[in-house]
Amino acid sequence: MLSQSVIHDVITAALATGGDFAEVFVEDRFTNSLALQGGKIESSLSGRDYGIGIRVFKGLQSVYAYTTDGSKEGLLKAAGNAAQAIRGEKIIQPAQLQKEIIPVAHPISLNPREVEKLRKADVMKKAYEIAKNYHSSIQQVTVRYLDEEQNVLIANSEGKFVEDRRVRSRLAIQSIAAEGNQMQPGFYGPGAHKGFEFMENLNLEHYANEASRIAVTMLGADPCPSGKFPVIIDNEFGGVIFHEACGHGLEATSVAKENSVFANRIGEKVASDVVTYIDDGTLANEWGSITIDDEGEKARKNVLIENGILKGYLIDKFGGRRMGMESTGSGRRQSYRFAPTSRMTNTYIANGKSTPEEIVSNTEYGIYTKYMGGGQVNTTTGDYNFAVMEAYLVKDGKIGKPLKGATLIGNGPKTLQLVDMVGNNLDHGAGMCGSQSGSIPVNVGQPMIRVSEMTVGGTKGGE
Amino acid sequence: MNLQEFKEKLFQLGGQHGFTDMELYYEREEKFACELFKGEIDSYDTSEVFGTSFRGLYEGRMGYAFTEKLDEESLSFLIENAKENSQFVEDEVQEEIFAGSEKYESGSYYSSSLADVTIAEKINLLKEIEKHIYAYDERVTGTDYFMVRSGEMERVLLNSKGLSLSEKCNHAGIYVSVIVKQGDQVKNGEYSKFTRDFSILNPEEIAKHAVEEALSQLNARSAESKNYPVLLRNDAASVLLQTYIPIFSAENTQKGQSALKGKTGEIIAVASLNIIDDPFLEEGMLSSNFDSEGVATARKDIVKDGRLVTLMHNRKTAQKDGVESTGNAYKASYKGALTVAPTNLYVNPSNQSYEELVSSLSEGIIITELSGLHSGANTVSGDFSIAANGYYVKDGKVQNAVNQMTIAGNFYKLLKNIEAIGSDLEFSMGFMATGYIGSPSLLIRELAVTVE
Repeated sequence: MLSQSVIHDVITAALATGGDFAEVFVEDRFTNSLALQGGKIESSLSGRDYGIGIRVFKGLQSVYAYTTDGSKEGLLKAAGNAAQAIRGEKIIQPAQLQKEIIPVAHPISLNPREVEKLRKADVMKKAYEIAKNYHSSIQQVTVRYLDEEQNVLIANSEGKFVEDRRVRSRLAIQSIAAEGNQMQPGFYGPGAHKGFEFMENLNLEHYANEASRIAVTMLGADPCPSGKFPVIIDNEFGGVIFHEACGHGLEATSVAKENSVFANRIGEKVASDVVTYIDDGTLANEWGSITIDDEGEKARKNVLIENGILKGYLIDKFGGRRMGMESTGSGRRQSYRFAPTSRMTNTYIANGKSTPEEIVSNTEYGIYTKYMGGGQVNTTTGDYNFAVMEAYLVKDGKIGKPLKGATLIGNGPKTLQLVDMVGNNLDHGAGMCGSQSGSIPVNVGQPMIRVSEMTVGGTKGGE
Repeated sequence: MNLQEFKEKLFQLGGQHGFTDMELYYEREEKFACELFKGEIDSYDTSEVFGTSFRGLYEGRMGYAFTEKLDEESLSFLIENAKENSQFVEDEVQEEIFAGSEKYESGSYYSSSLADVTIAEKINLLKEIEKHIYAYDERVTGTDYFMVRSGEMERVLLNSKGLSLSEKCNHAGIYVSVIVKQGDQVKNGEYSKFTRDFSILNPEEIAKHAVEEALSQLNARSAESKNYPVLLRNDAASVLLQTYIPIFSAENTQKGQSALKGKTGEIIAVASLNIIDDPFLEEGMLSSNFDSEGVATARKDIVKDGRLVTLMHNRKTAQKDGVESTGNAYKASYKGALTVAPTNLYVNPSNQSYEELVSSLSEGIIITELSGLHSGANTVSGDFSIAANGYYVKDGKVQNAVNQMTIAGNFYKLLKNIEAIGSDLEFSMGFMATGYIGSPSLLIRELAVTVE
């Protein structure tokens, strides 16, 4: 992508004013995104992103400059702009760059760039047909297809020089069911750190039918009651609750400045005994998996909470400086347009001992959420909220009628203490996570869990 | 390769490959952002980026591709991919390369005095604000987001039908999020402002806004969960409006994703509601003389005295509905697909001040902040159930902050349940927003409120 000698010169220029660390991130990314609406391919976009990010640290100061100008002059100018923010004399010389060869952790068998777009369109049409034919009330189906090949080169003043290729594919199906003036959406968006083989082996029947089934079920659902209830959250994408309630609060971004409710609490009990929370970027070919992070550190399995005890944080190089801790391979960014910061990869609650049947039958009255929508958290206060896509009333240990319009709100640290049952059916779901360093692919996951009390905001009003 | 050279080579190569009409859209952006934390520069970002997107007609169908690298490899990349993309896109409407509008406004949205503000002055502003933040109240413990940013952007549209348009704009903005602690309570308060006039950014006022906002959230109490009259403060109202703006896009009505389909000309809101899209606002952050297809932009009423006057259109949606484009073609960047979005869109203010609206409530809830709109608001059905913060009002006076709440209702119904519109129009740029959206405070007859 760029030669070692050019990169060496750029790093040297970036350090000219007294920086104690400099890094160059080069990205060359090819993307295809197709959209199908009403059975027809509505748009097909292909593109190439190319740019370079240069980062300089001096103590607890971090400077970032990025450019699309990959010429040596353009890069030296960007390095100069970065260096200008630091005022001092040169203090270090960059170490000799050493090319690191990293074994491929997530093998790709069919690069989407080698696949004709007509084949991609065929997958979308199949998904459309299945979703559309699910039920007569399905009024509209939108299918989106995305693939990308992101080539990166990461080099720094400590001598690191490493390249990586990340290939990802995702299919997103949205069905809208309508009756009278009622409309309800259903959504499923499977994705993986894989090539086109992911699409070829995807169980379209399952995902497309589920998207439509959710929409149709919610069309006939009652408004959700409001109040405080025990809440059962099903596996897979249900894990978004801990992503919001806990994951973001364990990122160095908020921990380093002691703004997080979890700051300075390693070794303390922060959750009930049944909670073990893990971030694992090494899971083979999962959507949120990485071989190396965007600072060139190898992905790893980080145990964050073990049996309720806080064990660790998600740390990037810069956050680690303020915390006096090492990187955990968690430095990620959307693209060269963002300086990396601490982020999640595949984050999940580990399996517990209860069966899903036991959890339901032990719940006298409450809410069961089968599929979650997205959510948000304020990491300073720990207050989170998220939408429920598909919910049901639980009565006398049985799942009852469907409920629509449920939103769950609460406080992360409090909710962690109120998890009283954890199931044994761990699974993962794909999502996009937005934060300071942009929007990145992550998995959320969990087995079925129960929270003894959560605040449910429904459209029906109080009970 | 420079842009002109790239364009000529590209159109030549496109012609050889069978493209008839072609267009190149180019954006170049320079940005600066700096965060301060306890007197030290915590992050400092500077950038210069450009990118281009190509679209062209091949055998009567439009194909798209973009690149951020202007080199030989990209020329063939664009042509080959656009050609392949054109071959299986099946839209009933034939897209065309636009030859141009008759007349374009000549508004300038580039301030040279803003361009002259130095980085040192911007950092100095942060330092001044920070001093005032910590001096204002001893319960202030820090900031979790505190940043100044500025940017300038140039857009160029060139096509084989001879259209050549270009425009430059700039802006600066400030974000502050302050943390206050009292006992074991931790709260934060935010303030943000975008402008083209750096001199209006008053450090003392900005600090006061953010700290007061945080302090006002302390000592929150629960309140009965029930239906209340709800006063959406201007910033919260504009955030809710942002979320539901897509319902006014013809693209969404045509896709069955908005209930306003076929409602043009009908009453959809209370008679006092006027919604305007104005691309020529002097202080508008999305002011512009031409849209992403090269169509001249225009000021227009979207809702006039409660009646839906028009949806927002680009050329394709207009053709489908048999109307003219409203100049609302939009691309999130040169990378994005062509869609429909507002420019500077706002609810026209009325005459009651915020204080007057508060004192008119015998009992009610004021909403100062909404979150989780990307997931808790259904733009198809209009139903929303979203997390909120705010205050409890009794006998016309704010009594206390309320624990985290959800407010639930339906946006289409809400438009008909607006009891009063304030005079305090304020614009905001949400993090996911397409459009620069403004609203005064809105008093809503009734919403379901659930309190934690």
